[in-house]
Amino acid sequence: MSDDILLSLHGATKLYAGVPAIDGVDFDLRRGEIHALVGENGAGKSTLTKVMAGVVNLTAGTMTIDGVAVSPKSPLEARHLGIAMVFQENSLVPTMTVAQNLFLGQEHFYNRLRGIYIAAQQFLQSLNFDVVPTATVGALGAAKKQMVEIARAVLHNAKVIIFDEPTASLTPEEKKYFFDLVRDLKKRGVSIVFISHALEEALLLADRITVLRDARKVVTDDASTFDRARIVQAMVGRDLSHTLYGVRKTTVRTAGARVLTAQNLKMAPMVRNNSLSVFAGQITGVFGLVGAGRTETFKIVAGVLKRDFFYGGEVFLHDKPVRFRVPAPAVRAGVAYVTEDRKVEGFFETASIARNIYLGLTAKFPSGRALLSRREANKVGREWIKKLNIRAIGDEARVVELSGGNQQKVVIAKSLAQEPDLIIFDEPTRGVDVGAIVEIHELINRLADEGKAVVVISSYLPEIMALSDRILVSRQGKVVEELSALEATEEKIMYAAIH
Amino acid sequence: MIGAIREFADRLLGRGDATIAVPSFDGALKPNQKLEEAEILLECAAPEDLATDGRAIYLANGPRLLRLQGGAATELRAFDQPISALASLPGGGLAVALGGREVHVFPEPSAAKPRTIFAAGLSALNALAPAPNGTLIATDGSLTRGVDEWAWDIMERGHSGRVLMLDPASGSSKALATGLGYAFGCCATADGALVSESWRHRLIAVRRDASTSIALPHLPVYPSRLSPASPGGYWLTAFIARSLLVEFVLREPAFRKRMMAEIEPRYWIAPRLRSGDSFKEPMQGAHIKTMGVVKPWAPPRSYGLVIRLGADGAPLYSLHSRVDGVNHGIVSAIELNGDLIMVAKGPGRILKLPIAPLDKEFGT
Repeated sequence: MSDDILLSLHGATKLYAGVPAIDGVDFDLRRGEIHALVGENGAGKSTLTKVMAGVVNLTAGTMTIDGVAVSPKSPLEARHLGIAMVFQENSLVPTMTVAQNLFLGQEHFYNRLRGIYIAAQQFLQSLNFDVVPTATVGALGAAKKQMVEIARAVLHNAKVIIFDEPTASLTPEEKKYFFDLVRDLKKRGVSIVFISHALEEALLLADRITVLRDARKVVTDDASTFDRARIVQAMVGRDLSHTLYGVRKTTVRTAGARVLTAQNLKMAPMVRNNSLSVFAGQITGVFGLVGAGRTETFKIVAGVLKRDFFYGGEVFLHDKPVRFRVPAPAVRAGVAYVTEDRKVEGFFETASIARNIYLGLTAKFPSGRALLSRREANKVGREWIKKLNIRAIGDEARVVELSGGNQQKVVIAKSLAQEPDLIIFDEPTRGVDVGAIVEIHELINRLADEGKAVVVISSYLPEIMALSDRILVSRQGKVVEELSALEATEEKIMYAAIH
Repeated sequence: MIGAIREFADRLLGRGDATIAVPSFDGALKPNQKLEEAEILLECAAPEDLATDGRAIYLANGPRLLRLQGGAATELRAFDQPISALASLPGGGLAVALGGREVHVFPEPSAAKPRTIFAAGLSALNALAPAPNGTLIATDGSLTRGVDEWAWDIMERGHSGRVLMLDPASGSSKALATGLGYAFGCCATADGALVSESWRHRLIAVRRDASTSIALPHLPVYPSRLSPASPGGYWLTAFIARSLLVEFVLREPAFRKRMMAEIEPRYWIAPRLRSGDSFKEPMQGAHIKTMGVVKPWAPPRSYGLVIRLGADGAPLYSLHSRVDGVNHGIVSAIELNGDLIMVAKGPGRILKLPIAPLDKEFGT
């Protein structure tokens, strides 16, 4: 074994109920390298990293650190071996301060808060992290929380830090900052493993890339030898680059009847006098940078948020004024909102797929209906699992056991079961693998072809351009530009979003 | 009592009728500068309406009736009152509304005497359209104000507009709809007429049995005359776009009353057919200009717009002259030999745009 190798796995296999999550995977991590793990959801990336972090144990195979065979049985054991993992959903205690979180698990018999704060301050400064140690973690943004997670890993003298989808909830500016942090860690000799669905990030940041597919390793190679098409090809075993974002739209759907009109909608400070229309039989893409008020505007439409009480503007659905203060009447009126944050707002993770989908449907029931039917729930669940090709061990599988892509399909099914006229997809493919993205895009296109009014809110320009018939660009709380998909270019859209 | 409380609550909270909101120009109404690119066929003092017999265009220019053919304008006759509406009739006749108070039906455009005259009870007759059964559909904007006093009517929130069916054969007339917020423009349909209701920013379908329904609501403009388009659908003109400032003023009766009493009408905070000529106008400086240049997206006091409607009345595309443009106050548009001929009343221009490139560009 080369001295350069810090951590390696040989023939790593993990079985769940006899089904392999990873199957005979060989993986090695060099000192001070950034190693990206990519693959479709369910390919085995998370399991592989969880094995390294001691969260799950191998069924077969070996793991070595510095040439010594190890088998961490818990995250604590892995941490003692110098391996720390930063999870997609951060593991900080939101009611405690940054400093308390940093030293959590390392407390002495007697702890002086002042001492902890000073130590945390010095440590954070040494990392050049702009985080106030006395701040409560719950009040921090996603990027700062991630900084605290990273700082905690470094504080624990981690030689290997594993990131699971680190950039999924970060703004473009925060992403840039995160990349700098990772490069800085690399300079300090820390080895980084990170899982990302954003292939550009893997290409930009990683030294080497490993592609997993169907629980097996497909390839490991230097990042410089990859391009997007090669990664996608390796991930899915088929050429998706031409069907997904590679081909420019040459035709657009003609607008049908006006389904939604928002006039001078206000919700300070996020939505400012926003006016827009959405038409049937078309996909209306809404692009904007973070803070542009896109999500908030459509959450007002769907009754998830409330507009300003005084002079808050008007919403018309099928040319009739509506004001939904809660989502249920909006659902009954034919508005479905597919959330961008599926884990928090999208489903009950410990409930079954069928139950979740049925719960979506119950929102459409008249409020007088008190009894729900398990048989009906199972029937509806089976129907949508088949329709949307949701891949699970069985109908009774809990949503938490599904991959990100399949979880997203459950959220979509939950909304489509309501038979809406207007469907608002907010970041429909965030944290979703390439294969599932294609399926979700096909579904969105099919809905528009069926005459539904479809809104797609996305921060990913190629997705907006690939899906939309007309593109609305939002900036500082209002729509500032409308482009036909035929005339739109990335430059034009971005120009409108920034200037 | 309950109504008064509700109105007070609405005004306090800014909801219902007190919502000061204007629909956006989006979708098929997305702004462009097509009207600014149009060819100028003719410049004249007071163009008002157009009609065509399929060979030539008839133009109402103040009291003068002109015939436009092959780029040349010839005067057919002059009346003693300004012409407020024109319509070519299927048998070669011509209907002419004079001063909004009379309708003369001529057997042919050059005929010396009218065949029929309608004069009883007309006040602001502003549009005429032939119906398939030989009758004429007419819109009478207001019972209280004359045809040139439309700005007074909007500021008084007039709602006395009517749609009339005039029968030249019998000389009788019948009201199909009343109580409209300035009826201004009509086009015959299979079972009645499509009518513009300007102050309510909508098109309504008026049937022969006098029933009505809303055909196209919530327009961001004040719609005006309509004409048929080939192979189907309509051309709808809009003589001005709505603005938040005017909407606000329309909800402030005391302010309006004082403004109308004390301010010269051309400087009112009210829609205009042309603007930007005087520093006394209500919107100045940074409201409409940046670095000394008029912003196309500034709040419109005058605007130019023609909307192509499909056979179902839904907008397909639109032609604009934005705030920084000149060809404002479009009050009439008519199709002839593959061209769209329009009246821009603001600058006094007759404009022409070929339709085929527009259909191609907008994908209809």
